[in-house]
Amino acid sequence: MRHRVVDSWRQRVAASPPEFVLMGFLVALVAYFTSRSDVFFTTNNLRNILLSVAVLGILAAPQTMLVISGNVDLSVGSLAALSGIWMADITEGGSLTTGVVLALVMGIAIGAANGALVTWLGVNSLIVTLGGFSIFRGMARLISNGQTIRIEGFRWLGSGEVVGIPAQVLIFILVVVVAGFAMRYTVFGRSVYALGSNPQAARLAGISVRRNIFLLFIASGVAAAFAGLILTSQLRAASPNAALGLELSVVAAVVLGGASLAGGRGSIIGAALGVFIIGTLNNGLTLISVSSFWQDIARGAVLIIAVALDQVRLKIGGET
Amino acid sequence: MTESDTPRNGPIEVRLQGIRKSFAGVEVLHGIALDVQGGEVVALLGENGAGKSTTIKILSGEYPAEAGTIWVDGVVADLRGPRDAHELGIRVIHQEFNDAPDLTVAENLHLGELVATRGIVRWSRVRRNAKEALARIGVDIDVDTAVGTLGVAQRQVVEIVRALMRRARLLILDEPTSALSDTEANRLFDLIRSLRADGVAIVYITHRLDELEAIADRVAVFRDGDVALPATPFCDLSRGDIVAAMVGDAGVGSAGAVYESTRGQGDVVLTLDGVDVGDDVRDVGFEVRAGQITVLFGRVGCGTLELAQAIFGLRKVTGGSISIRGRIAPTSPRRAIASGVGYVSPDRKKRGLLTGLGAAENLTVASWPRVAQRGVLAPQRLRRIFDRWSSELDIAAVGGPRQRIETLSGGNQQKVILGRWLERDAEILVLVEPTRGVDVRARTEIYHQIETAVSKGTAAVVVSSDVDEVIRLAGQVHVVVAGSIVETFIEGAELSRAVLVEAAGKSEAAVRC
Repeated sequence: MRHRVVDSWRQRVAASPPEFVLMGFLVALVAYFTSRSDVFFTTNNLRNILLSVAVLGILAAPQTMLVISGNVDLSVGSLAALSGIWMADITEGGSLTTGVVLALVMGIAIGAANGALVTWLGVNSLIVTLGGFSIFRGMARLISNGQTIRIEGFRWLGSGEVVGIPAQVLIFILVVVVAGFAMRYTVFGRSVYALGSNPQAARLAGISVRRNIFLLFIASGVAAAFAGLILTSQLRAASPNAALGLELSVVAAVVLGGASLAGGRGSIIGAALGVFIIGTLNNGLTLISVSSFWQDIARGAVLIIAVALDQVRLKIGGET
Repeated sequence: MTESDTPRNGPIEVRLQGIRKSFAGVEVLHGIALDVQGGEVVALLGENGAGKSTTIKILSGEYPAEAGTIWVDGVVADLRGPRDAHELGIRVIHQEFNDAPDLTVAENLHLGELVATRGIVRWSRVRRNAKEALARIGVDIDVDTAVGTLGVAQRQVVEIVRALMRRARLLILDEPTSALSDTEANRLFDLIRSLRADGVAIVYITHRLDELEAIADRVAVFRDGDVALPATPFCDLSRGDIVAAMVGDAGVGSAGAVYESTRGQGDVVLTLDGVDVGDDVRDVGFEVRAGQITVLFGRVGCGTLELAQAIFGLRKVTGGSISIRGRIAPTSPRRAIASGVGYVSPDRKKRGLLTGLGAAENLTVASWPRVAQRGVLAPQRLRRIFDRWSSELDIAAVGGPRQRIETLSGGNQQKVILGRWLERDAEILVLVEPTRGVDVRARTEIYHQIETAVSKGTAAVVVSSDVDEVIRLAGQVHVVVAGSIVETFIEGAELSRAVLVEAAGKSEAAVRC
């Protein structure tokens, strides 16, 4: 049985998964920076890129799921900062373990609160998490009095290694693999696609729309808290200004990866590629000494161009 | 767009010849020919996937044709977009409204063409124009209400008036009565007749043979991308000619097959006792047995939909009780499904299809918890299930199990949704207008599948406003008028159109429906 009728270049372009396009884009970026800089394509630098995107990637996976479900979590950056401060504050007066555990518990609790507001009260997730974005940052500054809190003896997450691979990179890979598998092959993941594409139909087919979205917010909360711990471990200090603006990079990576903010469309692999593109761009532009102002402009332009190209791809195939 | 464009006013004359079109490498139109003149109504019939929609999209400039010619007023028309078609006076009234629901009727009528002086909208003129336009065709709609708050029928009228205000000379109506009650449909026919008298050309797409007599001057039938019956005066045709053209040689034999009642009488699985659902359903009681088809027959808007929704836990029962195998029925769809109820909504697009997902996923979605092993869905398992049902239900999905559901024809979409509950082994199947917008062949297949499920012990509750469907299903029939059962025909009772129409019309005068 032939499962796909492909007989013209138009169909072929339209049927190609967005991941191929992103892959091509990433390869082109790498080729460009390699040609412009001797340092770019070295083991050391590639390792740097991986290290720089690990946190972004850990946040991008749950964010992708949320976006596919038709929601968004803009509070992740602020929550990461709050998590670090909260952990450091508790550790100062107690034990490290308590601090880490309580920070993660806080992530779960805040994720649950976000989820409850969105699902049971029906407040738009953009509004809820925009509120959280401001509240959590404020809380972090309040607890820390606006000061950075130094912390010793918490280095493994940020600089530890397992068989030569940095711990945070391993965690990033693990998160992507688990999330990618879950979204592709599990009832949970497919339910998220289903409810994102048509919540009413999903509900009538017996999918619990609210419970699934609630769980996604919890996942996002935990991931943000965890990201805060990694950042704190890297710096050996918790800063109330950590992860400033990170939520926008996360959403950018997710959208770059082909997710639709209207829900129903997107992939974890795509988002991971989006993360790599952003990381490569940041790293490469710095290496070829482009000023940071121009880097901002370049990042924005790449986002718009990539999403626009994807629309062109769909239009060529006659879809809208 | 602007008023200064050369106005073309006289009656239009449109002719299509040799129109071809392919999607995904598959040719769906094999040289379509059609013609229509101002002052006549050409009804266009055909199964889903026959090429009607594609043809009108080409005629309205939405798709380019790959071959063939369109003449408008004797001149070859090069339609590069909807705008070109609009300029020639060709307008389509789609089933889905193209209006701005939050804006008023007056503003919607002027959408994109607000009367303004130096950028300042002249609301008094906008309102006056709107009132005049509505008055011209004799409808009474408040121009200051938001369009979204109007009923389907009125919204449709607003769309038609909008087209007329832009000098439409050919109106293409795509199944305009599919969501209208009989009274509303009759009012629409009056409007169509008066437009025809004014010299407007009308192409009227429909599935309902009964409507032809009321409005069609000529009838054309498409089948599988060809013209099966070129536009022929209606008076020269019999109903049999039209059906034969629609179903082709293969379908004629099975189309009118009479169902033989060999169903066993099983246990009572569903009991309704004095059920009220808000103001929509009043004091309804009946029993449904396993292995039985129960039909709730009533006009659209008579409470049958609300009743079906209540059985599925979508609506609150405000009086009396619904019980499933002796236990009070659950109050959410998820729990209803868990207790063995399946529900097919009349609004397939909005409440049935998981757009963007593949056919196989759409078919299996309700069974995922069962199919999965420790939460993991193996794609090959889904494919196997889909392949089984796709041959059982004769689902035509050229792209296979991963073909996106919205790219299937209406009939195939509906089969997938029915398959969803067959695969789930639903003990009680609640089907609301299961063959709405579905072609004759798929319809026969759907009836056959309902019967197969029922013969295996499923209880089917079918809500229908289609007399032929009620007769065809031959189950126990409850006739519902204004939220109450007014008459019941036991299974095997002699049913005829006349008997049913009479029953449904019985108290209609007394209780407004």
